[in-house]
Amino acid sequence: MKTCEKYKNLIEKYIEGTISNQHLAELKTHTEACKSCHDEFERCVLVQDFVKEALSSQTSAEQAEASIVARLSEEPKIRPAPIRFDTILYSGRRAAIAASILLIVGLSLGFALGMTAKSARTQLTAQVPISVGKIEGTVLVRHEGSDFWQALETGSNVHLGDTFHSAAKSVCRLEFEDESTIELNQNSMLVLKSFNGQTQFFLEHGECTAALESPHGPFFIDTPHGRVEALGTEFTVTVIDK
Amino acid sequence: MTTEQKQNDTGDQQLVRAALLGETSAFGAIVEKYWNMVAALALSKVSDSTEAEDIAQESFLKAYSQLSSLKDPSRLAGWLSRITIQQCSNSLRKTLRSKKALGCRITPVKELDYLPAMSANPGLTKNQVHFVRQTVKKLPEKFRTLIILRFVAGFSTVKIAEQLGKRPGTVRVRLHRAYKLLRKDLAPLLEEVGS
Repeated sequence: MKTCEKYKNLIEKYIEGTISNQHLAELKTHTEACKSCHDEFERCVLVQDFVKEALSSQTSAEQAEASIVARLSEEPKIRPAPIRFDTILYSGRRAAIAASILLIVGLSLGFALGMTAKSARTQLTAQVPISVGKIEGTVLVRHEGSDFWQALETGSNVHLGDTFHSAAKSVCRLEFEDESTIELNQNSMLVLKSFNGQTQFFLEHGECTAALESPHGPFFIDTPHGRVEALGTEFTVTVIDK
Repeated sequence: MTTEQKQNDTGDQQLVRAALLGETSAFGAIVEKYWNMVAALALSKVSDSTEAEDIAQESFLKAYSQLSSLKDPSRLAGWLSRITIQQCSNSLRKTLRSKKALGCRITPVKELDYLPAMSANPGLTKNQVHFVRQTVKKLPEKFRTLIILRFVAGFSTVKIAEQLGKRPGTVRVRLHRAYKLLRKDLAPLLEEVGS
């Protein structure tokens, strides 16, 4: 049994792709004599083969290469923008000119808008790299500066200052670029207060569950009663009105 | 890092550098190297093989046009996998939107699941291929990507961790959890083939 324990570990290493050739040969020899290890190892090989076979493409890698290279030649618009060291200074100067132009245009626009459309305050704030994943039931969103609630849809963009409200028996999941998620449970209200560097949400009422990918930067959930800082990877915050 | 991995990463770096200088053949080599991985990632998210291959092609074209934004060329595979997953989500969203705009009834996932599945490999029957794809598709995204990087692309957990910028321990634990789920759900097929 003790010997089998050793070979079970080798099977785990085989799954991980970290087994050495010597250990693999040793494992194969053992499986010829041990039925339990033989079955386990065979299942493992079969699962790998099944996945590889079922997800294999009808187009071979060579055909795909030829087809994509042909498309790149046919469509000269598709070009990578190479960054070379000798052009960094030139790029920097270009960037400075572009920034100045943008600043002037921005100032002029800001001035013009301030003069003519003081009431138009429903401009969307900066979009953040969060997308709306699974939604069940009715979840509403209100952008900052707007008085209107609209139904949240899967794949919608998320902006700074957005307020999410989930109705009864409704949940929604917000997905971050690093695969972290925050799930808003039913009858809850959550506001995205700030993002860059310090992701900060305000849970006004209800419940939300965060599952963070590690390592993660500073991540806070404020509530009317105090602040919760993420130290681990999964936690749930509940605000009870008492 | 093994010598083989080092050579592989150096190879990727050289290919990226050459592609950035306009050598389409270098990018062609990247396509050839990672086509199976990218196509498998697409196939694991959309049921239709033709659509999956279109997504795989579009992912490579997008990668080519954004190649200069790749900060660490030794993490090319991880970067390509992220682009592919994003392209799949965009494509699914677009399909949903156009169906809504045309006033079509949105096909429930279950019906989509029964679209004919084709595989390049005749080892499994059509139904078995379909069954395996659906099983992989049911896995959570973070598990699915690991399974494909490990079993299709053939990366070790160490290499996957490097590519995705995660801790090797995290990748190892997740891979075993994913494998256990797969083994449980594929049990009928394993019995069928084993008997």
